[in-house]
Amino acid sequence: MPTITIFKQDLEGLLAGPGEARQSIGIEQLEESLMLVKGELKGQNPDTGELRIELQDSNRPDLWCCEGIARQIRVKRQGSLPKYDFLTTKSKSPKQLNVNPGLEGIRPYVAACAATGYCVTQEGLAQLIQTQEKLAEMFGRKRRTVSIGIYRLAAIEFPVTYDLVKPDEASFTPLGMDTVMTLGEMLLVHPKGLEFGGILAGQDRLPFLRDAKRQALSFPPIINSREVGEVLVGDDALFVEVTGTDLSMVVLTLNIFAANLADRGARIEPVEVRYPHKTSLGKSVMTPQDLGKSRKLPVGTIEQALGQPLGAQEVAKALTAYGYAVTTKDKEVRVALPFYRQDLMHAMDVVEDVAISRGYSEFLPVMPSQFTVGGLSRIEEFSDRIRALMVGMGFQEIISNILGSPQDLRDAMRLDGTEWGKLVEVENVMSQNFSALRQWMLPSLLRVETASNRAFYPHRLFEAGEVARPDPTQSVGSRTVTLLGGMIAHADAHFSEAHSCLDTLFYYMNHTYSLEPIQHPSFLAGRIGGIVSNGIQVGVIGELHPEVLERWQIGVPAVAFEIDLTELAERS
Amino acid sequence: MDISSLIDSLHPLEVKVLSTFGAKPSAVLQTEQLSQSTGLEPSQLSMAVEWLLAKSLLTVDAETVTPNVSLTKIGELYFEKYSPIERVLSATRDAAKTGKRLTIQDIQSREGLEPADVSGAIGRLKKEGALLIIQGGCVESTGRPSQTAETMRGLLQQLRGTTRDLKAFSNAQQQVIQDHSVKRGNAREPFRIDDRVARSLKLSPAGIEAAQQLSRQKTADEVSQLTPELLKDGSWRTKRFRKYTISLRAPRIAPGKRHPYREFLDTVKTKLVSMGFQEMRGSLVETEFWNMDALFMPQFHPARDIHDVYFVQEPTHAPSIDEPFLSRVTQAHQHGGDTGSTGWNYSFNAERACRLVLRSQGTAVSAHTLATQPDVPGKYFSIARCFRYDQVDATHATDFFQVEGIVLGDDINFRTLLGLLNLFAREVAQAKEVKFLPAYFPFTEPSVELHVRHPKLGWMELGGAGLFRPEVTLPLGVTVPVIAWRLGLDRMAMVALGIHDIRELFTDNLDLIRSTRGAV
Repeated sequence: MPTITIFKQDLEGLLAGPGEARQSIGIEQLEESLMLVKGELKGQNPDTGELRIELQDSNRPDLWCCEGIARQIRVKRQGSLPKYDFLTTKSKSPKQLNVNPGLEGIRPYVAACAATGYCVTQEGLAQLIQTQEKLAEMFGRKRRTVSIGIYRLAAIEFPVTYDLVKPDEASFTPLGMDTVMTLGEMLLVHPKGLEFGGILAGQDRLPFLRDAKRQALSFPPIINSREVGEVLVGDDALFVEVTGTDLSMVVLTLNIFAANLADRGARIEPVEVRYPHKTSLGKSVMTPQDLGKSRKLPVGTIEQALGQPLGAQEVAKALTAYGYAVTTKDKEVRVALPFYRQDLMHAMDVVEDVAISRGYSEFLPVMPSQFTVGGLSRIEEFSDRIRALMVGMGFQEIISNILGSPQDLRDAMRLDGTEWGKLVEVENVMSQNFSALRQWMLPSLLRVETASNRAFYPHRLFEAGEVARPDPTQSVGSRTVTLLGGMIAHADAHFSEAHSCLDTLFYYMNHTYSLEPIQHPSFLAGRIGGIVSNGIQVGVIGELHPEVLERWQIGVPAVAFEIDLTELAERS
Repeated sequence: MDISSLIDSLHPLEVKVLSTFGAKPSAVLQTEQLSQSTGLEPSQLSMAVEWLLAKSLLTVDAETVTPNVSLTKIGELYFEKYSPIERVLSATRDAAKTGKRLTIQDIQSREGLEPADVSGAIGRLKKEGALLIIQGGCVESTGRPSQTAETMRGLLQQLRGTTRDLKAFSNAQQQVIQDHSVKRGNAREPFRIDDRVARSLKLSPAGIEAAQQLSRQKTADEVSQLTPELLKDGSWRTKRFRKYTISLRAPRIAPGKRHPYREFLDTVKTKLVSMGFQEMRGSLVETEFWNMDALFMPQFHPARDIHDVYFVQEPTHAPSIDEPFLSRVTQAHQHGGDTGSTGWNYSFNAERACRLVLRSQGTAVSAHTLATQPDVPGKYFSIARCFRYDQVDATHATDFFQVEGIVLGDDINFRTLLGLLNLFAREVAQAKEVKFLPAYFPFTEPSVELHVRHPKLGWMELGGAGLFRPEVTLPLGVTVPVIAWRLGLDRMAMVALGIHDIRELFTDNLDLIRSTRGAV
């Protein structure tokens, strides 16, 4: 979900089209229109006209820029997508980009075009750079699958070559530096080399773009040359290239740039990319190129999914006004996405576009009418009953994070190295405080006790909730169990006080139990019992060990119990 | 106030004092006498007397001031170790016996006395003719007795541990006391004279009436507590129950109580059940398969990397994923399988699918339900604890509840989806106005964001929903359309609980938990 910055006046210019008078748009109208692009206005500066827009659809990279947003709104207003000539007109001698052998296993694909006749403005340049960054970052998976370079066309002599060189074989002055360095040095020194060098890790030869004079264009996907690869306001001839690991993504990305520049008034000149081997699009690939395949859909499928009879004509109208190319035949529509989109995977994707194009508010909500019986899970019902009993016995319920620290869950309970101390721990720890799932309930109760020595006594606390107990017999390595933990803390807290509560619970659960002496480091020896019911240990009860209280900095005695509600619920 | 309600409002201490007068209503009693006959502590008595004076039930008949003498700390010391005058006298007598001559310095250093004490004592002894000052600054005993020293010794003995009326002493004694009592600027003296005010008190006419009424009531015994015995033998009929001051603040108690956030979630749970939803439960630890693959999130999806999801340290992987789900989901991802989709067009990694993570979305619970032959028609919900790799702050929790679920049925379509969301808006948020916005979730198409006008918060996002993609439902064996929905209720909960920091939902502050009223 990218968030982008655009300027209102730029958007208004693009809504009108090149050479036309700006079409002003109010903020409320804009917010309404943003529904077409799944966008949300996150902020605005009325003085500068700056707008911050969050775009939700991660499958629609064409919308992550001012041009794309404007295009989708404009198409809807005009009822259909205008023609983009560069997709159909063929040049007899197109500019060429030759791909040298050896790039297959590294970064095989490239697409490029030239754009002339558009004089780059301040706002236009900001959008070019932002789009380049957002697409490479989020659609190109941090430049791994797709990265983009933009250059001053005038400085380049064709044909351009996409080459493979040794790290010290090529050198140029990269953007952001003022000395010549080799590709190998860029990987070691340049900030972008350090950030993205991992993509080329282990390669002894590196991708390199150069022109016919052997002048360096760039070191994809790391950095452009400063001489030809720095576009400035006022430039009116550009060269755009996209390199990457997935041909259709590479072409789509170039298509988006071509559409964006065309929408700003540039004339797009396709480039012929010549591979040393056959690709899925052939040995010679003209870019940009419309890769969309048309798809046949029964109108009934769409109507059924939407719950609304529309008819083929209405469906066609809605889709055309959303940029599709549509033909209808009886009860069928044949649809093709515009060339800057590739997100049609399933008929349901078309269904949503029909709904968005018509507007969600056009659809009257209908209540689902089929009867179903509601109910709680057995464990939830059981746990609710136990919670009510605990409340009746004067306990305050608490609720805690399930993620905690091994220090609290294990070490402060004196459980290090014991069976009781085994935990499900997190590998990618962000904070020690949230690095393990609780394996029992008492640390959650102690957490509150520690923070509450000013709250008047007695303290009677309980929590019923989930814990994760490591269990090698489970395929996920642990079992999620619902436990009840209860604790009493005050100056005279005593085993029998907790025992009475436990006894009462078991009476109302209609289960018998006995307490059996066990060893447990968290409790005082001789004042700890395993709670055994039906031959299975279902919990513990005891007076907390003074060392535990000391480590939690608790100044009064505490007595606690814990029982396995999951186990007991299964029997009820 | 009439007399009987005045009597009702009397404090037990006041009643005690009045009752003492009761026998002889016209008596004039000294404070001391009252103290003896009531048996009250001096402080209690003086409180009761002040209250009764303020209510004009008691009047002061006369006030006498008696100077009382007692020993100071110094006096007690003098009793034990003798006073300077006694010590100077005895030192000079001892010297006379052995023929030595003592200087004033000798006495000072031998007796360890303050210079001021020594010179005071010598001055007085010289005046009384008990010693002489001779050449060279020496002192010499005359062998005569000292009146002061003898009187002092007698007084120290008499006053030890007690207090006496100054007037009870002879004139000579009084003189010594006056000369050696603590005064301003002279704290090092053995005696202290305090003026003791003794009041003679008598009842006012109203007091007499009150005392008489009280003595009549006395026959009907006053009790403070109704007891089982009183009920059993019926003797409560002859008792009078002391009235309480009911305007006093009640003592505080801590009741047993549900946690306010749980109470809120319980309400949501009850609402969902009332709308025909069945509860689902799941595991805190999940495989990436059920957490994401089954939901058609491609394995390269940005929300799947280590900056979004917590990975489990040990074991890292589940041994396997159940078939036929693994194969079908693999195909759906790669080329669509039998779902009518093109798929994501990448090579699915089955080992990645086994990677264990902490459940990052409640939808994982729904995915399991889809795979276990759910009811059709069917409605399900879960309130599932989820975990995200997120920096914790006032608006982000790393460990939170997600309320989510599914609806299956032949009649499920985009419009019934909107209908369901309308119902949620009304039932869960008490909202009458709703807005449906296009949204994006990897596993639904079409997708909707539900915005409602909350009575307190204004327009807010209440949840997201959509129709599960066929790439999700078909591989799990479900052939009817399915709504997937999720409600974001934490903001509503925070308003209901009056808190502004999401971390406080799980607060460790018992005072706060006890004092929060909750969602009602």
